[in-house]
Amino acid sequence: MAVARSMRRTSPISLLLAALLAFGFICFILSPSTPSSPSTPAEAASSRQRQQNAAEHHLSPPTQPFLKSQSYRSNGIQAPPPVIHYNLNNLTSTSDSIANGERILILTPLARFYQQYWDNLEKLSYPHELISLGFIAPKTKAGNAAIAALEKAISKTQNGPIDNRFASISILRQDFDPPLTSQDEKVRHKLSAQKERRESMSRARNSLVFTTLGPSTSWVLWLDADIVETPTSLIQDLTSHNQPVIVPNCFQRYYDTQSRKWDIRPYDFNSWIDSEQAQELAKQMGPDDILLEGYHELPTYRTLMAYLADLKALDPRRLLALDGVGGTALMVKADVHRDGAMFPAFPFFHLVETEGFAKMARRLGYEVFGLPDYLIYHYNE
Amino acid sequence: MNRPHAFSKGHSAYPRGSAFSISPNPFQPRSQPALRRRRQLLQRLCLLAAVSFLVTIFIFPSWRAIILPTLSLGLLHPSEDLQLQTVRYYDLSEVQGTEKGWERGERVLMLTPLRDASSHLPMFFSHLRNLTYPHNLIDLAFLVSDSRDDTLQMLSSMLTEIQNDPDPKMSYGEISVIQKDFGQKVQQDVESRHGFEAQASRRKLMAQARNWLLSATLRPTHSWVYWRDADVETAPFTIIEDLMRHNKDVTVPNVWRPLPDWLGGEQPYDLNSWQESETALALADTLDEDAVIVEGYAEYATWRPHLAYLRDPYGDPDMEMELDGIGGVSILAKARVFRAGVHFPAFSFEKHAETEGFGKMAKRMKFSVIGLPHYTIWHLYEPSVDDLRHMEEMEQERLEQEQKERERELAEKKQAAKSKTQNSAGKPDAGKGSSEGSAAPPAKDADKGGSKQAKL
Repeated sequence: MAVARSMRRTSPISLLLAALLAFGFICFILSPSTPSSPSTPAEAASSRQRQQNAAEHHLSPPTQPFLKSQSYRSNGIQAPPPVIHYNLNNLTSTSDSIANGERILILTPLARFYQQYWDNLEKLSYPHELISLGFIAPKTKAGNAAIAALEKAISKTQNGPIDNRFASISILRQDFDPPLTSQDEKVRHKLSAQKERRESMSRARNSLVFTTLGPSTSWVLWLDADIVETPTSLIQDLTSHNQPVIVPNCFQRYYDTQSRKWDIRPYDFNSWIDSEQAQELAKQMGPDDILLEGYHELPTYRTLMAYLADLKALDPRRLLALDGVGGTALMVKADVHRDGAMFPAFPFFHLVETEGFAKMARRLGYEVFGLPDYLIYHYNE
Repeated sequence: MNRPHAFSKGHSAYPRGSAFSISPNPFQPRSQPALRRRRQLLQRLCLLAAVSFLVTIFIFPSWRAIILPTLSLGLLHPSEDLQLQTVRYYDLSEVQGTEKGWERGERVLMLTPLRDASSHLPMFFSHLRNLTYPHNLIDLAFLVSDSRDDTLQMLSSMLTEIQNDPDPKMSYGEISVIQKDFGQKVQQDVESRHGFEAQASRRKLMAQARNWLLSATLRPTHSWVYWRDADVETAPFTIIEDLMRHNKDVTVPNVWRPLPDWLGGEQPYDLNSWQESETALALADTLDEDAVIVEGYAEYATWRPHLAYLRDPYGDPDMEMELDGIGGVSILAKARVFRAGVHFPAFSFEKHAETEGFGKMAKRMKFSVIGLPHYTIWHLYEPSVDDLRHMEEMEQERLEQEQKERERELAEKKQAAKSKTQNSAGKPDAGKGSSEGSAAPPAKDADKGGSKQAKL
C-alpha cells in the first residue's frame, strides 16, 4: 500500500498542519468576506434597519438587499419565495422625507464614470440606508470601462463604514446599441443625430426606471453621471418642496481665460417655459418631427430657466412653473412614474425624452417646477 | 505504486562499483510495531471522517449556517449586516424573449388586477395549478384595489397554500400582492356621469391601476409579461407557450364568452382588439385632445375590423392578425416592450386609453402587435341585471305557456271526449303537435346576444 508508506513518512505534526490549512480554506470559502462588526450605536441602528429591510429571497425587488444565506426546505431543495404583501396605500412622498423614512431611488444612465460623481454621491447627507442606486450602461467598450470603474467604487463603498453604504445597487446593461458611435462634437449635435440620440437615451431611462422602481420607492432622483457637484443636502432640499416633478438649475464651472479666474455658466437648456412661437412651430411640423432647444433651425423663443438664475442674490427656494425639464438632476415622486409618466422614445407632442416626460406628467395632471437659483454643477471636459 | 527505486530493473548508465553505485536493495522492510500500525489506521479513519463531513456540508448548504460558527471557534464573527447582498448585476440583452422561453429558462411575470374578485379566485387558482409553463419561472403579482369583500385574505391563503405545496414543481417564483386603492373619487364620478361618458374615466383609472402593478413588480430578470384577468373561465393550460411561440412583441388570443342557449350559446366578449380603420382615424381627428374613443358604443361608429368577429371555430389557431388596439383579458408581451416605456396610458393617447392605448403606443414604437382570431379563450358569463330580469320573464312566460298548454290539453281532451261521444272518429295526435310548439324559444330572444356585445 503506497499511501500507507507515504503516510508513514509524514509526521503527525505536518498532517495536523495540513488539516488546519484545509479547514482554513473551507472557512474562507464558506464565510462571507471581510467580517467586521458595527462599533457605534448609530451604525448598529443603521445595520438593524438594513437587516429589517432585507428580502428573504433573491427573487425580490432590486431596491432591497437580500440575505446571502437562503433558506432551504427539509429535503435540501431551496425553499420557494414567500408571499409578500406590499401596501402602497401607506407609501408616502412628503416634504418631511427623512422623518417619514421615505426611500429614494437614484437613477443614472452611465456613459462615463467620473470619480467626482461618486464622491459627490457618497457625500449626500440623506440617510444612506434609504438610498438605492440604479445604473444602466450600453454594452460597448466605453460602457464596459465605465462599469468596471463603477464596480470598483461600489465595492469600496459597500465594504466601508456601514452607515456610508447604500441600501442596494442595481447595475443594468442595456439591450440595444446606442445609435451613435462617433463622439465627434459636430456630428453629435446635428439635429437629426440629436433626435436618434435622445430617443435611445429615453429607452435607456425607461428600462432603468421600470425595472428597478419596485414597490417601496417614494422618490426617484435622476442624476446624470457627469454631475460632479451638488449641495450635500440635495435630496432633502428637493423633496422639501413636495412637488411631483422638480428640477434644479444645472451650471458648469469653467476657467475664464480673459478674467483669469474660475467662473460659472449655464449648462442645461432643456428646462423651459413654453412660448407661442414654439407652439406655432409645432403645429406646422409633421407627426415625426421634434422640437429641440438651441438650434438655429428652430427658433422657439422659449423662456429658459438656465438664464433665470439671479446670481447676485440667490434664493434657492424660489419656485418656477415649467413646461419642459432637463434630466441632469430631476426629482420625481415615484407616483408620477407609477401612473405611467415615462420618457417618450418617439415624438410626443413633438417632444422627446425629459421634455416629453414633462409633457406626459402634465397630461397626467401633475405640475412641473424648477428651482432657478438652486445650482448644481456639470463636469467640464 | 512503486516508489522510485534506483535502477531496480534497468541498468545504470555508469559502471557498477564506481563511486556512483548504490548498494543493491538497501531498504529492508522493517517489521512495524503494533502501536504504529494502529495509529496509521486511526489517522486514516480521521481523514475519511473529515472528508465526508466536508462533503456533507457542501451537499446540504442549509447546514452551513449552523455549522460554520461552531467550526470557526469564534475566529470569524460575521456581523449580521454582512450577510446582505446589496449589489445586483443584470444584462438586459439576455432577457429579450424567444419563441421557446421555457427551454431557455426565461422568466415570465404574470399580472392580475383584482377587485372584489373573491368569487373568481378558486377558478383562477385551478387555472394557475394547471399551467404547463414551468412554475418556478413564473413570478406572480396581484393588485388588490378598492375591494370590499375578502379578496385579500382569500388570495394570500391560497397563495401560501400553493407555495407550500409538497410538489416542488407547483410553487411559483416571486409572489407580490400589491394593495392600492384608487377608488373613491372615480366611484363618485361614475355615478354622477352617464354610462358612455363614464367609460373614459373608468378606463383611465384601470390604466392607472395596471401601471402601478407593472411598475412595482417588473424586474430586470423578466423576459415576458403575461396579463391575465381573474374571470377567465376556460383557457388552454399551455396558453403561455402557445402565445409565446408566435415570438411577437404583443400577442392576444380571441376572447369569447359562453351564453345560455336562449341567448345564442356564445358571443364575442372582448371588442377592444381591433384594426384601425379610416373612419376611426377621421373621427379621431375631429375629437378634442383629451377625448377617448371607446369601442362598442353607438356614439363612436368606427367600423373597425374586430378580432372577435373574425373567429372561425374550425380555423387554424396559429393564424395571426395585425392589431392596433388590444383588449386586456389575456395579453402576452415581451418585457422589453414595457422596458421601452410602453404602458397603459391613463391619459388620452392618440384618442385612446388603457389597453387600446397600449396597443397604439406599442405600434408607435414599432413593436409588433398581433391577435389570434381562431385561438379562443372563454370569459366567465355572469348574467347582467337585464339578463336576470329577462330570465325571470322567460321563466314566467314558460310557466304561462305551460299553464295554457295544460288548459288547452284539458279542453281538447274534453272536446275529444265530447266528439267521441258524438262522433267515434276523432283526432288522437292533436295535443302532441301543440306541445312541440311550446319548446321553441320566443323569437325576440334570438337577437338578444347581438345587442349586448359591448364589453362592460
